[in-house]
Amino acid sequence: MLEASGRFVRRKIQNLFYALGFFFQVVKETFFFFRRKQVGFKVLIMQILFTGYEALIINIIMAVSIGAAIIVIGSSLLPQFGQNQLIYSILIIIITRELGPLLTAFVITARSGTAIATQLGSMVVNHEIEAYVTVGLNPISYLVVPRFIGMVVSMLVLTIYFNVFGLLGSYWVVQFIRPISLNEYFGGLLAALEVADLFSGLTKAFVFAVIISVVSSFQGFQVNRASTEIPVAGIRAVGQSFILIILSDVFVTLIQYV
Amino acid sequence: MSDLYLRNLVIADGPTQIIAETTVTIPAESCTVFLGGAGSGKSTLIKAAAGLIVPQSGEIFLGEKNISTFSSAQEQEFRRLSGFIFQDSALWQDTSVFQNVAMPLLVHYSSLSTSDVKERVSKCLELVGFDDDSAKRPSDISIGKQKLVSIARGIIHEPKILFLDNPTGNLDEDSIEHIFSVFETMKEKKTTMLLSTTSSEIAFKLADYLGLLKNGNLIAFGPFEEVVARAEQSLGSSLQRLKARGQRRKKEPIPDLVEEIQNL
Repeated sequence: MLEASGRFVRRKIQNLFYALGFFFQVVKETFFFFRRKQVGFKVLIMQILFTGYEALIINIIMAVSIGAAIIVIGSSLLPQFGQNQLIYSILIIIITRELGPLLTAFVITARSGTAIATQLGSMVVNHEIEAYVTVGLNPISYLVVPRFIGMVVSMLVLTIYFNVFGLLGSYWVVQFIRPISLNEYFGGLLAALEVADLFSGLTKAFVFAVIISVVSSFQGFQVNRASTEIPVAGIRAVGQSFILIILSDVFVTLIQYV
Repeated sequence: MSDLYLRNLVIADGPTQIIAETTVTIPAESCTVFLGGAGSGKSTLIKAAAGLIVPQSGEIFLGEKNISTFSSAQEQEFRRLSGFIFQDSALWQDTSVFQNVAMPLLVHYSSLSTSDVKERVSKCLELVGFDDDSAKRPSDISIGKQKLVSIARGIIHEPKILFLDNPTGNLDEDSIEHIFSVFETMKEKKTTMLLSTTSSEIAFKLADYLGLLKNGNLIAFGPFEEVVARAEQSLGSSLQRLKARGQRRKKEPIPDLVEEIQNL
């Protein structure tokens, strides 16, 4: 029993160091990506299209809905306390600081995280990764780095879109509840908005993108030889990404507020 | 091109030993064939020699250089000088046949013009006998044709060392005959060839050096004629029949060496 526990802990520690080594390798190769004459740019463009462009509609729908929900709830609650103006601060904090990056990260994990893990996993099973090595392509710089950069770019752009549409969506709903002029609404928003709010949201978006791309790629490469391992890699990628995203969200928030 | 030297190589997958301690020199500019039954460790040995599998212990040298200590530039040079043909083709499924074959040129000869690349790819596909549309994805062509594409990808950059893992698997009789002629041309050009197979026929047609593998043990290795002569006593009558027949005649039925090895 004790021996088995020791082996389990040892394996977990080994995996952790292996994962950290993988992460540093990805970071190192990222610095060389644009200097190398490799053919990874196509992979980068495809990743941005898949992760960013194709997720835009679902992100916009989510942003408008959340913005609308906040304004409906806020408009009915805040007047009771005579704090109508607080709605702008609440909108900014919830959408730009918290839900924008967080919900975008959840969508991206579910769509692209699983896709990356299962795609890389099936490439391992089909020996495609080994084939890249034999022609002189480093799988990390050719397969992981474009996904990493594509994920970061897409997350930042999607978070900005979430912010814009979340705030626009709420204005659209305000017109049904308590019509106000565009100037008044955006004047209130801009008065409440601080650079720190935008910076906070984009910092989280960056951290979440790093987590999703590295965890998903790592899990994809963890597949050994059986095709039954591929869905397991996808499930692990989603589970671990969610946990790390939530923990890092708390961590970044603590840094900003404490 | 230098010899490839495998020193005290041990390969295991967890507690299971795949290759027992093996030391062997693969002579340059010759064809070395590793022959053995399924699960004898041939593919693993070839992949380790190509630097695709990290051994538990032991080293692999290309000339004086240990391939595990290659710098990035040396690794890139090694890949430029070598080609690998996979047992199960291992084509990249998200790109076309053309892009699969062109990749080694794009990586190692980036100064080539697009028209040069197109010309070399179509010539190479023609050489291996691929007669389908090169714009198709690998999943849209037969397994046999995928194998031909894999062979074309392995040889398009005219490697000096060619690793071949069961290169004739999934090919029909005509294609095998055709591919043999391609490999024989490469032998004439002094390409170092390291080949694993379960087919005695390939060994008898191509091997300058022969290694016999059983359950991860290299039970015999040396110049082809010498190994055959040495193995005669233990392998028995089939080899004697073979010798009497004049070993390398193409149309003669060839005794199943692998079966004899299994029965040892």
